[in-house]
Amino acid sequence: MAVFKYDENNRRHRFIRTIVVTVVSLAVFLVLWWVATVLMNDQNFPTPDKVFAALYDLILNGDPIGGHSIWEYIAISLKTFLYGFGLALVVADPLGLLLGYVKPLREFTAPWIEVVRPIAPIAWAPIFVLSFGSRLGPALVVFIGIFFPLLTNIIFGVQRIDKNWLDASKTLGASQGQLFYKVVLPATVPYILNGVKVGLGVGWMCIVAAEIYNKFGGIGQYLVDMVNGGLMANAFAAIIIIAILGLLTTGVAEYVSKLVSRRMGMDA
Amino acid sequence: MSRSKLVVKGEKYDSSDRVRADRTDLLYSHIPEGETLVSIKDLNVTYRTDEKTTVAVDDFSFDIKKGELVSIVGPSGCGKSTILRCISGLLQPTSGEILIGGNKCTTAGSDRGMVFQDFALFPWRSVRKNVEFGLEIAGVPKEERQERSDRYLKAMGLSEFADSRIHELSGGMKQRVGIARAMIMHPAVILMDEPFGALDAQTRNILQESLVNVLKTSSRTIVFVTHSVDEALFLSDRVLVLSKRPATIHTVIDVPGERPRDRASPEFTKLRREILSYLESQNTL
Repeated sequence: MAVFKYDENNRRHRFIRTIVVTVVSLAVFLVLWWVATVLMNDQNFPTPDKVFAALYDLILNGDPIGGHSIWEYIAISLKTFLYGFGLALVVADPLGLLLGYVKPLREFTAPWIEVVRPIAPIAWAPIFVLSFGSRLGPALVVFIGIFFPLLTNIIFGVQRIDKNWLDASKTLGASQGQLFYKVVLPATVPYILNGVKVGLGVGWMCIVAAEIYNKFGGIGQYLVDMVNGGLMANAFAAIIIIAILGLLTTGVAEYVSKLVSRRMGMDA
Repeated sequence: MSRSKLVVKGEKYDSSDRVRADRTDLLYSHIPEGETLVSIKDLNVTYRTDEKTTVAVDDFSFDIKKGELVSIVGPSGCGKSTILRCISGLLQPTSGEILIGGNKCTTAGSDRGMVFQDFALFPWRSVRKNVEFGLEIAGVPKEERQERSDRYLKAMGLSEFADSRIHELSGGMKQRVGIARAMIMHPAVILMDEPFGALDAQTRNILQESLVNVLKTSSRTIVFVTHSVDEALFLSDRVLVLSKRPATIHTVIDVPGERPRDRASPEFTKLRREILSYLESQNTL
């Protein structure tokens, strides 16, 4: 039998290793899950085989109660998510740059930010859904979740700008406006992307909670319906879908952030 | 002309007197080589903290002639970089003034180019885009930018790295970019703040020679701050030797001989020994 010799410096070997470790880890996780649920023998905690059967059925035949396909739920969740994310980008980027750049403004608004920021975004969910409706409400909860990590990262990024870059630009004739567009803005991009990365994770956590208060609104609502209907296998199937979507969004954000930072020659 | 820009804001200039920000040397073309171009008058820099007041520079005056390379050497912490930063306009002196061709300088501008010890290059820009930064700021059209950057990239031996990223370059290559970025703007005076201080001895020598070569084809006025006596003597027309803080001028040495100089010549060795023994006597450590 040929012995597989692992070589740390070989890219393919490292890749294979990652795959193997991940697969084995997930397999062990499933076994632990199965053992735990069998031992508990509680119908609220279904065994993995039941959950995956429900997931399979959900993908093929859709929601057994509401009659909607699973893709409709996912589409609604993603749409809400993108609205919140887009709004956070549009508001936090200019605001973060401004607050990072103008010290008096930053000092003045710091108490506001510090008071509002520690509030769990989920706490806003019932209020927002009640006041802004089931479409805008959840999107605003996602917005709050993404907004603060993004804002604080951008402010931090502006303050971390190498003073020598500003000095060099001034001796090359840059005006205040040019300093901003040619130095501050590009220098902050890696921090913006890092903020997006952190924000997306938080935002995705918010969406499920926000949708719980909806009549018909996405995968979070489906989860609640299933729990209320006692269909626990379906509820866990929804949780798996939420996990996979969350992994995908943060994975994409992380990849883009790494790629751009490397392209720009600055690993923030 | 859209690329025109008023650079030096002084009484002498009015709105009809517009100057291209990328050729501020033209402002002073009426001053012949060897005449005073930059005057430092009664410069004082005082730092105040709650505990104490530190006088970094005390009544410092000096004239820099057009077309010369003046080095400033002095014991560590004597305030030589502070003087340079005052000339650049990046630091406001407590009192005193900097005059270029008789015009008072108040803020930083493209008429005083600067080369930094830690390069201060923009990592998100390619080598070429770093060199072209000032031209871009001045609104120079793309074709002209390209043509001028080609010339300076070639002069500094960077042609094949034009599209490289800054983090791909060695320290020596980085400072070549820094020098090209300052020179391409044709500032009235170029200020170099220990430009080779972060480089190893061998790279240092090579860059000194590159600088000498570039100056052979293009006359520039340069103020060069260094703590290497050897470097100062190798490069400069005049060496300004400063005392410990607050800096006063100990001697001004006219360095004999045309560049490139022989580092091992008896004259060179004698001057170096003299300066070094003075600097040691001033060392407070």
